[in-house]
Amino acid sequence: MLQSTFKKEWLDTKRQGQTLWLSGIAVLLLLLACVTGFKSHQSYQQAVNEVSQSEQLRWLNQGEKGPHSAAHYGIYVVKPTTPLAALDDGLQAYQGNVLRLEAHIRNDSLFRSAQDNVPLSRFGSLSPAFVLQVLLPLLIILIGYPLLAREREQGTLKQLLAAGASPAKLFFAKCAVLFTLSCLFLLPVALFLLYSQTASEAPYTLRNALFLLSYLIYLLLWALITTTLSSLFPTARRALITLLTIWAFATLLLPKLAMNIATTLHPQGSGQAFQAKLESEVYTDARLDAIEKFKQQTLAQYGVSQVADLPFDYAGAQLQFGEQYADKIFDRLFKARLEQLEAQSQSYQLAGLLTPFIAVQTLSMATAATDFSHQQSFENAAEQHRRLMQEVLNFNQRDHGHKAQGHYTAGKELWQQIPEFSYQYPRFTHYLPHYAISLISLAFWLIVLVLLSLFAIKKLRLEEQR
Amino acid sequence: MKRLILATELKNLWREKLVLTLFLTTSVLALVAFFNAHYFANKQRDVVLAAQQMQQQTIQNAKAGLPERLASTENHKWWEDPYDLRGQAFYLMQNYATKTPLATAPIATGQADVLPYYFKMLIKEKQHIVHQYDYVHPLSLLLGQFDLSFVVIYLLPLLIISICFNALASERQGGQLRLLMLQGGSATHLLTYQLLLRSALIVMPFLLISSLLLVIIRDQMGVTELLSYNLIVLCYSGFWIALTAWVNSRAKSAANNAATLVTCWLALVIVVPALVNTSIALLDPTPSRIHYIDSLRAASDDAQKASEKTLAQYFQDHPELAKNGSGASDYATKKIATINSVERAMEVQDARFLNAQQAQQQSAQKLQYLSPALIVQTLLVDLAGNGLTRHHAFMSEVEAHHQALQRFFANEIAKANQRGDFAPCDGCSTKPTLTNLADIPQFSSELATPVYSYAPLIWLLLLAVGLLLIAKRRVNKLDSANNKEVLVV
Repeated sequence: MLQSTFKKEWLDTKRQGQTLWLSGIAVLLLLLACVTGFKSHQSYQQAVNEVSQSEQLRWLNQGEKGPHSAAHYGIYVVKPTTPLAALDDGLQAYQGNVLRLEAHIRNDSLFRSAQDNVPLSRFGSLSPAFVLQVLLPLLIILIGYPLLAREREQGTLKQLLAAGASPAKLFFAKCAVLFTLSCLFLLPVALFLLYSQTASEAPYTLRNALFLLSYLIYLLLWALITTTLSSLFPTARRALITLLTIWAFATLLLPKLAMNIATTLHPQGSGQAFQAKLESEVYTDARLDAIEKFKQQTLAQYGVSQVADLPFDYAGAQLQFGEQYADKIFDRLFKARLEQLEAQSQSYQLAGLLTPFIAVQTLSMATAATDFSHQQSFENAAEQHRRLMQEVLNFNQRDHGHKAQGHYTAGKELWQQIPEFSYQYPRFTHYLPHYAISLISLAFWLIVLVLLSLFAIKKLRLEEQR
Repeated sequence: MKRLILATELKNLWREKLVLTLFLTTSVLALVAFFNAHYFANKQRDVVLAAQQMQQQTIQNAKAGLPERLASTENHKWWEDPYDLRGQAFYLMQNYATKTPLATAPIATGQADVLPYYFKMLIKEKQHIVHQYDYVHPLSLLLGQFDLSFVVIYLLPLLIISICFNALASERQGGQLRLLMLQGGSATHLLTYQLLLRSALIVMPFLLISSLLLVIIRDQMGVTELLSYNLIVLCYSGFWIALTAWVNSRAKSAANNAATLVTCWLALVIVVPALVNTSIALLDPTPSRIHYIDSLRAASDDAQKASEKTLAQYFQDHPELAKNGSGASDYATKKIATINSVERAMEVQDARFLNAQQAQQQSAQKLQYLSPALIVQTLLVDLAGNGLTRHHAFMSEVEAHHQALQRFFANEIAKANQRGDFAPCDGCSTKPTLTNLADIPQFSSELATPVYSYAPLIWLLLLAVGLLLIAKRRVNKLDSANNKEVLVV
């Protein structure tokens, strides 16, 4: 059945010509997207390596200065990418990829490349993910809408069923043809994954596998829904219109609406309000009181009456106390902001139950490490590094500042004590709980569409009996 | 006959419950899109207002606290003292440069969610000021706002296609066309009335509701802006109606028409804009911001290393600021001189980004003619005041304000230094050097209503007229062929 269905559909496709053209264009677009994606990933990664290296050298060669001056001098760290970012650059352009680590302040990431783009860029660029998530389902629809509906219109469906063809086999044969054809478009992607798996020093096996699997399921979903509606509707025209409406809702309208609703449900204050709150909570009289209390405690602990009599440099100890005091406030305020943003992410993922596009988009960006959760991991790791830097520098001031005649300065030996910031993404299993809703959504859609297919097969059986 | 065609068409649409369905669909789309974008614009307006209020409040608070400060005899750390010029300049200043959304903002959010619309000013390198941004969920930026332009560009054409794809074709396939010809009607009239009536059911409620909302809910909505909005939407809808007429005139089946129209929509609204966008980025690539950081860092290092030389150069440029004509000065003046030096060193880098963006914008203006969606998006975004033209004007004002602030503080700090006001102790100051915060320059925007060109609309109209002419000739042929058939029958 499968072989004969393949032959029949191939002949139909050749006769029409339109499908072949569309498929050819889709393959070209996908290849173009893969090439530009790969080039842009390579140049980004090269920039990350070059600038990270030059920043590290700059840090080490900053010369003799006070440890606190070095803390203010700080260091810039850049977010690395995974090879999968070449296929799905996700939110890269919409979140800063550079962070300045300095004393007293936890900065937000810098430079969203979307700010340098022209307004036209909001139409979206031709990335492999865009082709796979938006264009490929449309191609599946355009190839698959007449699979059973046209057989019915031409009367050949009745003939086939009367000749003893099993409705279930016929349905699944048509669906298999559609799915196999659509899988052919995944070949360039699969080849790229294979290449990155073998060429990469740190292969992302689980990420690559899940990336491919989620797209395979996504294409299967569209093949199933197309075959089902083609089977349920009396005419190919009605099947096409319904499928196109579903496509427009699923890929264009619902994702936008879902995110707009998520941001309304979990509103987040402005950056201006957040900065004002940070300033008003850190630099308060309470902080001055806490510093004074710390001073009195330290004096009491060492049984002296003035800081000059302490066996260490009090300035270093106070600087570290101030950092830890501010860190607690940063933790609370940044956590509150992050909770709102995470709630928005979760609400958006929940809308994956309304459209599989959201589920596959979430999983695709997640495996490519170009989503919000991975950005947060990077920013958290950078913040931990900032705190480590402050601790090393302040403790050095505390332990050695009092020994110096005049202004205490340190050199390369101290700068070398701070390890180079070299960020590696945690294993993907670490992130899995974040994406539970999307995984469930994909499974949910698979179950719903299999049930819908069974219903369509049942209707075909009834047609056979009539 | 015309009345009969119209009445029959309306009856058919009513019978299929399409009149009500379409009216409801377009009305809901207009309402949701307007209020969503209106809410977004209002949020930005509220932030702007809050910033301005905070600025005024700080001035008032300082005024109220001045007698107490003047009477105070304790030492104040200058970096924590709101009455110290240096404290205000480098750490404490509440001074904002803001861009208020226009009344037309809900029409198209454009880049308004990505581009900064307020800046907290301080005396530091311009490069550290102009790259501030509002921290929002990046996914909401990727997906964009559900605004009126989204409905106009993506959904109205789809709705027009979905209701018009079988105009004429179903009558031809069902045999009613021949009957109509027998009664003296023509295919041209039938197609014209079908398309006009059906698309009016989609476009008119949408335009009416969105225009009403813009007038009633948005303050100071201008008549010209409202008319421009209506004109743009009508021209764009006109193009899609003309395209539908052309496809329907080919006398193919309704299913074939649907497939062709959807392919056209996909090509013109999704694929061509994405391709144009990719081409623009490839032709005039934006320089790397990561490398920009490297250059900024190098420029800062160089300026710091050569701080004495930098200061000497600064006094050469600003001899009025030098203390008694000598190079001796305080930390603040040295810092301002260093900031100036870094800004000068970064001018080339900044120009590279600006040039790349301008080159991209020029390419976009040329390539927009490839897709009506691109033309309409450009026009609507400019009309909404969320385009690059207004943003660049705002950024120029921000830079001018930043320079005005730098000049003010450089002058005042130099004067205070000459008077010896910073002298009392090292690292602290008991003497207020800035008693009235209202003396600090405040940002005043003179952003005019955006100017937009209607030239691309003419291209859109030409395309529409061309398609209509071809369609008319084809349907005329169909008319004469059918007349012959009718005569034979």
